[in-house]
Amino acid sequence: MRKKSIYLVFIIICAFSCVENPNVTEDVYLENPHSVSSWVVGLKRQLAVTTNTVNVNVAITSDNYFNNYSQYSKVFDIPQIDYFDVDVNSLQADVQALREMAVYGLDKVITADASATAEDEAFMHFCLGYANILGGELFTGLPEANLGKMLTSGEILTLAVGNLDAAISLETDPKNIQVYHLLKARAYRSLGDVTHAVREAEISLSDPSLLYQIEFDGQNGVRNEMQNAVFDALPNRLAPLPRLDFLDPKYYAVGPPTTDQKPVALAKAEEAYLILAEAYLSEQNTGKAREVLQKLLILVGERPVVRVDDSGETRNGGNRTDYPLTAVPVRFDSTGPFREGLILDRQAGNIAVHTVSGTSVTLSDIAHAGGVDELLYQVYLLRQEIFIGEGRRLTDLGIKYPVSQTEQDNNPNVPDAYIIAQLPAFIPGNGGMDNFSTEPDGSIAIETDMNRIIVQNKTASEVVPFF
Amino acid sequence: MKICCILIFSTPLFAVNSHLTDTLYGTRKLGVILEVIKANYRDINFVYDPEKFRDVTVTGFRFEKDLNVRQNLDNLEEVAPVSYLIEGSTIALRRIHTVSEDFQQGLIKGKVLDENDVPVFGASVFIPGTDKGSVTDIDGNYELHTDVFPVEIQVSYLGYKIQKIRVSEDRENMVIRLEPAFESLNEVVVTGQGADVRKKRLSTRVTTINAEELEKIPSQRIDQQLSAKLPNAQINLTGGQAGATSIIRARGVNSAFVNSTPIIYLDGVRLDNLNTRSALGGSSQGSSMSALADIPMDNIEKIEYINGGAATTLYGSDAANGVIQIFTKKGGRPGTNLTLQAESGFETPTTDFLYFNRTKDLLFRTGAYQKYRLNVNGESESGFGYNFSGSFLNSSGVQIHDQNENQKADFSTGFRARLADNIDYESSFIYVYNRYKRNRNGNQGGYTGLWFAEDGASSITGPGFNNRLDELSGEEFAAIREFVDNAEKLQDNHIVVNRFTTSQIFKYRPVDNLLLKFTGGIDFRMQDQNTVQTNAYLSATRGQEITDQGSIQNVQRNYLGVTLELTAQHTYEIGDFSLISTVGGQFFRTRDRQILYSGSNIRDGAQTISDAAIKDSDEYLNEVLNYGVYLQENIGYADKLFLDLGIRGDRNPAFGDNIGTQFYPKAGLSYMISSEPWFKPGVLNSLRFRTSYGIAGNLPPAYANEKTISFDGFKGAQAAFFGQPGNDNLKPEKTTTIEAGIDIGFWNNRINVSAGYYRALTRDALFYVPPAPSGGYRVSQLYNIGEIENYGLEISTVIVPVQTQDITLSINASLNTLHNEVVDAGGAPAFNINGFSSRTLQTVVQEGYPVGFIRGNYGVFDDNGVLEQTTPQSYLGSTIPEVFGNLGLNFSYKNLSLFSNASYQTGAYAANWDAQFRYYYGASEQFVPEGEIEVNGRRNWLNITNRFVEKTDFLKIRTIGMSYYLTPREKAFYKSLTFGITALNPLNFASSTFDPEATISGAAQGQGGASTGGISYATYSAPRQFLASVKINF
Repeated sequence: MRKKSIYLVFIIICAFSCVENPNVTEDVYLENPHSVSSWVVGLKRQLAVTTNTVNVNVAITSDNYFNNYSQYSKVFDIPQIDYFDVDVNSLQADVQALREMAVYGLDKVITADASATAEDEAFMHFCLGYANILGGELFTGLPEANLGKMLTSGEILTLAVGNLDAAISLETDPKNIQVYHLLKARAYRSLGDVTHAVREAEISLSDPSLLYQIEFDGQNGVRNEMQNAVFDALPNRLAPLPRLDFLDPKYYAVGPPTTDQKPVALAKAEEAYLILAEAYLSEQNTGKAREVLQKLLILVGERPVVRVDDSGETRNGGNRTDYPLTAVPVRFDSTGPFREGLILDRQAGNIAVHTVSGTSVTLSDIAHAGGVDELLYQVYLLRQEIFIGEGRRLTDLGIKYPVSQTEQDNNPNVPDAYIIAQLPAFIPGNGGMDNFSTEPDGSIAIETDMNRIIVQNKTASEVVPFF
Repeated sequence: MKICCILIFSTPLFAVNSHLTDTLYGTRKLGVILEVIKANYRDINFVYDPEKFRDVTVTGFRFEKDLNVRQNLDNLEEVAPVSYLIEGSTIALRRIHTVSEDFQQGLIKGKVLDENDVPVFGASVFIPGTDKGSVTDIDGNYELHTDVFPVEIQVSYLGYKIQKIRVSEDRENMVIRLEPAFESLNEVVVTGQGADVRKKRLSTRVTTINAEELEKIPSQRIDQQLSAKLPNAQINLTGGQAGATSIIRARGVNSAFVNSTPIIYLDGVRLDNLNTRSALGGSSQGSSMSALADIPMDNIEKIEYINGGAATTLYGSDAANGVIQIFTKKGGRPGTNLTLQAESGFETPTTDFLYFNRTKDLLFRTGAYQKYRLNVNGESESGFGYNFSGSFLNSSGVQIHDQNENQKADFSTGFRARLADNIDYESSFIYVYNRYKRNRNGNQGGYTGLWFAEDGASSITGPGFNNRLDELSGEEFAAIREFVDNAEKLQDNHIVVNRFTTSQIFKYRPVDNLLLKFTGGIDFRMQDQNTVQTNAYLSATRGQEITDQGSIQNVQRNYLGVTLELTAQHTYEIGDFSLISTVGGQFFRTRDRQILYSGSNIRDGAQTISDAAIKDSDEYLNEVLNYGVYLQENIGYADKLFLDLGIRGDRNPAFGDNIGTQFYPKAGLSYMISSEPWFKPGVLNSLRFRTSYGIAGNLPPAYANEKTISFDGFKGAQAAFFGQPGNDNLKPEKTTTIEAGIDIGFWNNRINVSAGYYRALTRDALFYVPPAPSGGYRVSQLYNIGEIENYGLEISTVIVPVQTQDITLSINASLNTLHNEVVDAGGAPAFNINGFSSRTLQTVVQEGYPVGFIRGNYGVFDDNGVLEQTTPQSYLGSTIPEVFGNLGLNFSYKNLSLFSNASYQTGAYAANWDAQFRYYYGASEQFVPEGEIEVNGRRNWLNITNRFVEKTDFLKIRTIGMSYYLTPREKAFYKSLTFGITALNPLNFASSTFDPEATISGAAQGQGGASTGGISYATYSAPRQFLASVKINF
């Protein structure tokens, strides 16, 4: 009897004495077939995650948007960029996660999975290249690998070109090949390499309406954060610079936002025209510049425009209550002319939403723009308006984020030079990029026209790379 | 397989079944014979005065093993001047006087009652220095004869204070009421020992709180009840909402990864103390929830508490924070006893710490509280004991629209039976139902009551209001009040807990000095959290009509814990040495399964997600398995010097691949100087030194060692990405504690002082090292790289300045000092355990600083009060107090008693984030120089966090109460009546403008993570309760 009791206790205990990790370990993942397909989807997801972090933070740091609420960064608007800032850490982490995931995919997943295709490998090289473009454009420098040595932004951009070449050599879909060429053009532009930038931009224009978008999935927790910030969330969190009011929101939802998440452009043909125009202007060739800008405006005009009910937008985030809510004129700085039609009355009916590109620049503006500087001004205004909500503005302003404190604390290869943000001397502080005043008649005067400032400082090393 | 080996290790103990021969004593001292009888019936409590039997010699008694105790005592009665009485497992012996006592003149008769007026059976009533004495019978009656008056009689009973009473004339009905001893070193304890051991044999302190003490304090949950009762531990209730978590810490904060809540056992079975994180659906609004809130409370016989250190070594890998063990009742007095209790009263909000007077009118009201309880217990002559309790509690809470309502029902049974002469069985079954509402709290974005009213956010919420509430006109206030009323009315979030716990204990005594004890049990806790957000609510609070964003989110957390423990205790005496050897194996397995199911775009009125346009779900599973073996030897010499040695070995699949069995040794010495023959009791009547060394650990979470890939759906396909980096060298962090102390009793134990010093060093401390962004991981990985030091003094005292026949006054106080420091961070970057971003305000772990210190921007102002410069990431103060303790007072006059207790702390700081937001939103200018506001407005609000850090010294009176006992003079339908009035949380004295306890306990690592509080942020204070009760014993 006693022995039986003991055996019974053994049996009970043994039955309870195993636990298995319900999660998938690295070994289990790599040992099972078809890991590449899930890793490719994982990279697409990471592209969306990285895009969200970049988009929102760049919008706030730049003159495009002001954070009118208590969530998101409260200091990037100033702009105050500290290496210990959690948002700086998130930016670096998400950009480098894309890189590390691409590297892991190429080194480990592809080699472990017999079903991997050349397209899969091309996609991973593309992700690596895009991660390096983001790294080179947004940061003063980044480690080349996990806890690796520091690379300058130029070195990172050069790596990006190599990655994209690898992608092009493996890719079979011509549309994707054009995207990779356009991204190469972007990298060469940032490197100041006019010749290569022009060549790559021209190749990419073999698809004149090229558009590559990053998709989101609201039901799986990867919503388009920019859409949330400018449309879905109530109160609306980000308020556009009043002269860009007509371009807000770029993303919107009809019905529950969970199931209606708009994509964000990663590459589009407009950029090729803009690179070409800037390159021609650097060669003082205003004629060819005008020509491509005219083509650009035609393309922008062909991009879809939808009518959306945005009457819920009351700019009620709380930090600033003087954002205009009716159709009032606005001038770009204290001396410029007042312009109508840029600030919308959202209670007067549905508004036009430019889901890919929109601009206030007209053919006439291009035609009447005098010399190189006036055209260059139009190029930067076009860049600002066409790329709004796509995380591109900061590079045009010459601002770069530092390496994060957490990186430096973990990684002995990070010298102090990299923990300081690049803030060009011509960037006004104290919220000067977002500030505006309201005249007694309700019309708005923006404090600083940053495009004017950029053109005035076009020879500064931080901006306008072709000059 | 390994666990099998462990158990085989202990099986030889079953085989040690030596044959005991009957013993014939020729002529022996009666005292010696009684010791033999005691040794053969160890589970029976023998009560007698050895002095009375010292001079008696007995001839011709034969102790016969085959007979039961009653038969052996009957035989003894025939040959010795002794008689006995049996009640349950207690036998009282008294000497029969053979000389005639007729000529004696004085007579003292009466009853001995305990503090609840229950007759005490087996108490000694005697006249010191004479042979005159008596032992009370089953009805507590005693009778003494004396030939001289005045005379001093002395009454003693184990576990109660000795009473001396001067009597100057004959007394026919003198009632003597005993008071429980604060701490009796003869008391038997279990916690930390594997089996029964008397306190004096231990080198560490065990705090025992009995049922009577617990019943004095009506409360909804166990941590609230204990908050002023554990002399060396601090329990802070960090939120006033029903079910909110508390911070429990004793010897500082020895971990930077797991919270300092002790592990909790109920009758030997591990309970869910919610130290696994809430992986899905957030932590039920900003305020976390606690599994302590639904621990059954109505059937408790006693609670034992041991601080971390050597005391908890036998609990192994996760006992560094100490152990609370709850023992339930499993029997009662002979016969059937019925108790009915009703408690009722009202609750008022604690508005002391509100900034705006009118917040009270916006969010609070007075609520009602009621509780009913029924208890039936008893014990048959054969030793079968039973206890049944049922109770129901309803608290309407102090927030408008019942937003803090709580309903709780407990049902419990306990049984004790003797299955055979050498096998005992104990069993308990407990079911608890707990339901509470949870309105939005903290800052969850959008409307949240306190954040809206107190933090100035009313200016940006809904239509936007003037946020200076006390300056509003009547009309403006009516508008804001209507908005708040509507917003609160439209919230419908609640949490329901169903919990079932059972413990089964078999005690088997194969030979008379060997006890085998098997404990098995389960704790199953099912928690359903339901959050309904209607379109009506969203429309009302966001100031625009919303028709398609209604949602319901349900999170279910099912916890199943299984505990199996086998202990063998062997006692042996040789000469002056007594040895207690304990060997045992413990196994526990917990399974935490969380399921989230939610629906969005759901029509108002729907209560389930079945009507939702979009449905979603998620799952989380965590299983922990730990098995350990322990070995302990307690060696006593001459009942005065005790050496305590022990070791435990643990294995756990969560340890890294390179880590094997973990060992936890302990050693300690207890020296009862007052038991030395040369010690002459005088003013100083009891003295003990103790010292010990021991190691206890904290387990890393399950699977934390493994490198994983995570998955999620993305656009209808499977997306893989980096999960957790993994760490093959992961092992538990280990806290080594060295301590020494002294326990002194003066003036017939009317002054008891216990003082000690400890130093606890946590090596291989587990730090969640923030990943380098270049690595691509977003999840912090645990590494054993830190070293955390805690040291301090622990002093407690109980003083009884007045003790007469009718009046007793006792005062207890404790004082604990604490120094905490992260002495080594292993080169890891600083990381936060609470708070916001590294640029704003956090509580941080960093080398050279205490765990969870406040880090933020330090602003320096010029002579005009304008901000001159700001230093980011500055040390702004420690959130851990330097000194803390409890105070208590008991006064009784005849049947009336008054009591009160309090907690205090000093030397800690917390950040008033509420005030910082209030400043930012223009609702206040508090803490900021005028010059700064004139020049810079409010844009530097984040650069001057140091201005908003306040000292959090406090003295909080937890309870003031009064009770009156009434026993019928003649036979009545009841045995006793007790009336009580109690005020809970009546008085608060604090140096801070906010509630120093309500400082969000939520941790950056989620539920169960390390937290030291430290940030005051839209958190409710515990309400006040004023309750009246009546209890009838039948």
